[in-house]
Amino acid sequence: MQTQEIQKKQAEDASPLRQKAMRWSMRFLYLLLFLAVFGDFIANDKPWLCRLDGAWYMPVARELLVKAGVARWPANLVNLDWHAQRYDLSIWPPIRYAAGTIDLKNSNYVSPVAPQQVEHWRFRHWLGADRLGRDTAAGLVAGARTAVWVGLVAMSIAGFIGLLLGSLAGFFGDRGLTVSRAGLLGGLAGLLAGGFYGFVARPLLWQQNATWAVLSGCALLAVFIIGLAWLAHNMLGRLPWWRRRATLPIDTLVMRLVEIIDAMPGLLLLLAVMAIVSRPSIGIVVVVIGLIGWLGVARFVRAELLRIRHFEYIDAARVAGLSEWRVLWRHALPNALRPVVTTLTFGAAAAILLESYLSFLGIGLPPEIVTWGGQIQAVRSNINAWWLAIFPGLAIFFTVASLNLLGEGLLERQKQ
Amino acid sequence: MAAYVLKRLLLFLPTLLAVSMLAFGLNKCAPGDPVTQFMTLDENSKTGADYQRYQRVYAETAVRMGLNKPAFYLQLTTAAYPDTLYKVLQADHRANLSRLVARYGCWPEIQTYYKALQRAEAAFVYAGLRSDASIAARTALLQLYGQHEPGPIGARLDTIGMALSRDSALAAHGRPAYAALTDACRAVEAGATPWKHYIPALYWQGFDNQYHHWLGGVLKGNWGVSYRDERPVFAKIADAARWTLLLNLLAIALAYLIAIPIGVYSAVRPGGRFDRWSNVALLALYSLPGFWVAILLTVFFTNPQYGMDWFPSMGVGEPGRGDSWWDALQLRASHLFLPVAALTYGSLAFIARQVRGSMAKALSEDFVRTARAKGLPERTVIWKHAFRNALFPLITLFSGILPAALAGSVVVEAIFNIPGMGFLTIESILNKDWPVVYAVLMMTALLTVAGILLADLLYAWADPRVRLS
Repeated sequence: MQTQEIQKKQAEDASPLRQKAMRWSMRFLYLLLFLAVFGDFIANDKPWLCRLDGAWYMPVARELLVKAGVARWPANLVNLDWHAQRYDLSIWPPIRYAAGTIDLKNSNYVSPVAPQQVEHWRFRHWLGADRLGRDTAAGLVAGARTAVWVGLVAMSIAGFIGLLLGSLAGFFGDRGLTVSRAGLLGGLAGLLAGGFYGFVARPLLWQQNATWAVLSGCALLAVFIIGLAWLAHNMLGRLPWWRRRATLPIDTLVMRLVEIIDAMPGLLLLLAVMAIVSRPSIGIVVVVIGLIGWLGVARFVRAELLRIRHFEYIDAARVAGLSEWRVLWRHALPNALRPVVTTLTFGAAAAILLESYLSFLGIGLPPEIVTWGGQIQAVRSNINAWWLAIFPGLAIFFTVASLNLLGEGLLERQKQ
Repeated sequence: MAAYVLKRLLLFLPTLLAVSMLAFGLNKCAPGDPVTQFMTLDENSKTGADYQRYQRVYAETAVRMGLNKPAFYLQLTTAAYPDTLYKVLQADHRANLSRLVARYGCWPEIQTYYKALQRAEAAFVYAGLRSDASIAARTALLQLYGQHEPGPIGARLDTIGMALSRDSALAAHGRPAYAALTDACRAVEAGATPWKHYIPALYWQGFDNQYHHWLGGVLKGNWGVSYRDERPVFAKIADAARWTLLLNLLAIALAYLIAIPIGVYSAVRPGGRFDRWSNVALLALYSLPGFWVAILLTVFFTNPQYGMDWFPSMGVGEPGRGDSWWDALQLRASHLFLPVAALTYGSLAFIARQVRGSMAKALSEDFVRTARAKGLPERTVIWKHAFRNALFPLITLFSGILPAALAGSVVVEAIFNIPGMGFLTIESILNKDWPVVYAVLMMTALLTVAGILLADLLYAWADPRVRLS
């Protein structure tokens, strides 16, 4: 009685502050998404629209088309120094530098408050510049894209694996999942064959970059396991001995796997894996973060389904004659999906933080990818460049805090 | 209880086995040739007359490191590959042979080609001829060990053929070997069977393999030898672990000291102003990236530019010989203050939230109501009755925090140049000193598993329901 009262009071009192925190978190995340999508229009060393020698150009839009391979630069505009032109008219992005623009006049750590070598105050480096004269603000915009990319893709991978394994473990437990002996044999054969064709033979037959190699290898593995199990069940399963059902302790298997990955701290595991990748890329970092980041989702989905599977409507669906798989996918899992969003927000925060640690240490990412962690790294070679520590750090902090506050708010809402 | 302990221990064995396989596998995939990293600069010289000695020392070193054994119990590969490729000791030769097999898929022919190459090398690389033609032939022949595409191989063979036709002394030595080599090369191209890559092959390699010996060594405390200074890895990690443990234990103790009052007071008045604000503040604190805090501390407190140059920035400080213990303590404290501060706040937020949860649960129990009904002062009720009961889950929390803190101190140690395990890891990755990197991974996994085990056992000891169900 007393507990309930306390909780009710707590929920009422806490809600305005929480609501406000959640609202601001959402706003910040929308801003981040906007920066990630339209970053080229916000920080660029070319004007949006300009009139040069009597002709009209839209250099930013054209640059995007050129990158997409649809258009080409006219001969007179290739390698043009856009800052040095005399325009009849020009409209510029708010930040007049791209993340990679090297401003030689303002190289060697120009502070935001120090005098800068610029023609007009509009060309100032508002948040300073680094050793090569690259603009900090433009780097923040480019870093937002990396962060959003890491959060979204890593969590898609983690969410997929976590949902799949967590729901199997939670719904079926150790006794619920039975397969015919033929199917079990087929699945084991599929594991071997999928491992072989996905990871041993495929690199020899079909060369590709590491990101797609990992993803396609995993996909092949899954296809082989399911395909061969199905095939064996339908062909060999006609014999009586092979038709008998064997129990698959799926819960124990999944939880052991979770325990194994959990035993190694994420950052160390990521460092150990990235250290040996010969050609590092943001893609491989994201895939590895996703492959080790599904534990939280799996645990959560499992716990949720352990609870749901005892509900009456599940029994009702069973009594109605639906198959176990249909009960899981159509009735049990949809009710567990909403809470999963919460773990995904926490997971995205952790993924972004992990990536920033990695790029701060300078291991695992190619130098041309701009990340907030990588920007902060520059402070280690010049301890006086406070602006390189403050601004990217604030960006990481606000992103991670927004995601955590959002997750916290969602969690609170579910409890009520 | 004994049965429960045994059961938990047995459950952890597969985990540790899997972690050890992962660490070993990553170590095997690491770039670079461990043998040449072990050899001195002088022994690594391949020029002229040194080449024979290089090969001899290389083979000896590889055998000493146990690299003449298969890597693992089982080998899953394509039917084109032999199960005995590990017997080729030189890593660059092995890699090239494997590229050749990947391209042509016919091991018997490629083996013949490799042997012909070695015979040709014996015939006119070591013959001691000094003419220009023989030097050109020798260079081209040695380059063949690194080529797997038909174009470059053909070009090198042509160079050798031309050199043979120019120099009769060389021709006398090397003509038959050269003929055998070109024949073998043609046979490889003619007998190409790339379709063999579609057929799987599973080989059993026996117990006398590298993983088996490595795992045996690990169990006996022999964790291998660092490539860099040939010190035992275990000793290196033990040295580093002293600093890491000192830092983290200080930080965790401090975190508990600060977190307990915060958690208790916010639990005593749930929903109160202190509770709400401390909750948001702790969440914000939790979201602060550790490396950022550490960097800000170095920027503002170890830097004379802002007038706050209060702390030294590098290392742990070495007290001089004649210093009193008080001076030494002061020196160490001034060096360790900032890193400990940077490590503390992260676990602080986590612990405070746990304290609040655990305390709120204890306060809603019947015995607290009884204590209040008895008329005990509120202070006694909170600290003597409720807090003592809330304390237990917090003690077991410790075993979970320690491994996480070990990982968290990687960056802090790197920034403050503290020679701990994190610093060692980063340094070893940059130096490609793989045995140390993967030993640290193993070690943290061991510590984590031990921590979880300890927590489980404490729970079972305190709450008999856990071990009986």
